[in-house]
Amino acid sequence: MKEWEYQPPPDIDASMAETLQNFPREPKMLPYAIRSMASLLLRGWMRTYHHMQVDGRENLPDAGSYVLVCNHTSHLDTLCMMCAVPLAKIHRTFPAAAADYFFSSLPRSAVSAVLINALPFNREAKGAESLAICAKLLENEGNILIIFPEGTRTTTGKMARFRSGIGRLVAGSNLPVLPCHLGGGLRAWPKGKMFPRPYKLHLRIGTVQTYGHLEKNGRSVRAICGDLEERVASLGRQGK
Amino acid sequence: MSIDQALQSDIFLTYVAIVAGLLVFAGAVLGILYLLGKNVSAPARTYRGWLVMIPLVLGTIFLGREATIIGVALLAVIGFKEFARATGLYNDWWMTGAVYLALGMLTIVALVPDPRLEQPGWYGFFMALPVFVIVAILLIPILRNRAKGQLQIVSLAILGFIYFGWMFMHLGFLANTPHAYGYLLFLAFAVEINDIAAYTFGKMFGKRKLREEISPNKTLAGSVGAVAVSISLPWLLWFSFPHFDPLHLILTGIIVGVGGQLGDLVISYIKRDIGIKDMGTTIKGHGGILDRVDSMIFVAPIFFHMVRWFHGVT
Repeated sequence: MKEWEYQPPPDIDASMAETLQNFPREPKMLPYAIRSMASLLLRGWMRTYHHMQVDGRENLPDAGSYVLVCNHTSHLDTLCMMCAVPLAKIHRTFPAAAADYFFSSLPRSAVSAVLINALPFNREAKGAESLAICAKLLENEGNILIIFPEGTRTTTGKMARFRSGIGRLVAGSNLPVLPCHLGGGLRAWPKGKMFPRPYKLHLRIGTVQTYGHLEKNGRSVRAICGDLEERVASLGRQGK
Repeated sequence: MSIDQALQSDIFLTYVAIVAGLLVFAGAVLGILYLLGKNVSAPARTYRGWLVMIPLVLGTIFLGREATIIGVALLAVIGFKEFARATGLYNDWWMTGAVYLALGMLTIVALVPDPRLEQPGWYGFFMALPVFVIVAILLIPILRNRAKGQLQIVSLAILGFIYFGWMFMHLGFLANTPHAYGYLLFLAFAVEINDIAAYTFGKMFGKRKLREEISPNKTLAGSVGAVAVSISLPWLLWFSFPHFDPLHLILTGIIVGVGGQLGDLVISYIKRDIGIKDMGTTIKGHGGILDRVDSMIFVAPIFFHMVRWFHGVT
């Protein structure tokens, strides 16, 4: 008789904290159920409390992996982007989140990993290690990565320069990148405030960009960052 | 079982006193060893685990029948989850989902009264439930139109439900009996003492391995010592079930002493076959839930049916 093959998960000996901080995470039923419920509630809250409006949803590719790039004014950005992607893809949508902030304690890790499905992004060493994880994630079909290339939330409303990570991730590959702009985030939930306020949020999703024609070098990385920065900014100007 | 009855139950209060005394004693021994310069980090971790688990168990029983049944059901759910994860059954969400539903059903059946007899706990349905659950599990491959690998998945799901769910839930069903405090507290206490006795006797006198292919740490001496301790325990704790005859005390001792170690060995060969050391990391210093309740899964249903045969469970 042939022996059965068992497949114990790689994280069977990991503690709860390690399981939450590890990436990629094993698919688990309870977190999936909680995340699905939370996403539904979140969508309701965004629509009623913030009167969220999304333009350009039709630009989102139906299949394959892609990257969403957005300006960063508040925690609402991530939540808003998560409401823009189809509900069925919520478990394959990964907002890159600073590991030193979102995964610094067990309760924070639990919220980040279970509710937001965040990818712990290590900002040290220009994020080389974390970028490799992102690249690997995007090799699999149907994953969505959300990145805020400014690296931190703005306090003034002025968009900061895009960091090189996004450029290094997509230079020389045919990975679709969609520039997005969220307006109203700064007013609705400024950095340092405990709770968001009921102001309108307006998310504009731009058209698909690819950078497969550029070689993987420093110049094209800067060019990509500049191009995306300009596209995000121009989406922002549309409303004014 | 209820909070009022727990406060008036001499059995409950006596066990609280015994366990509290033992915890203080063990803590003092650990403290003295530490002061003598011995390395006590491993036993201290286990001890801290007990400091969390014992109040949880006593507190749950204190809260009454519903809390006890739901508490055991939660342990069964976590235990099944650990089993499903270790075997890889967890990757099949249909099957794991079906077993979770079945465990929920099992809990409800243990909680609600029998509609015809109006006694707490629907005994007939509880005993018949495996038939329906096995039918449901066997149906899943048909509904999904799949054959490849299904025998393994179906077998694991059935074992997972029957052993880790249904057999273990007999412990919860004991909460419906008139002597619930005595039965539950004695079982919880005796099964753990049996474990500790096997470990201690094994450390002191153990040379010959009990089942070397299954568990390298268990020795014949430990096993014999544990059976001896377990057979004497029901006599020492006779107050837990004053209605028992000597025959029932002897049977209880054998069920706990032999059954407890068999339960341990069952989990051991399951782990050995899969190739893992612990079933999980739920309890610090103890491994997974299954590493802690392994003996109880074996003991509870056999004790239950022994009691039912001689005294009835309602």
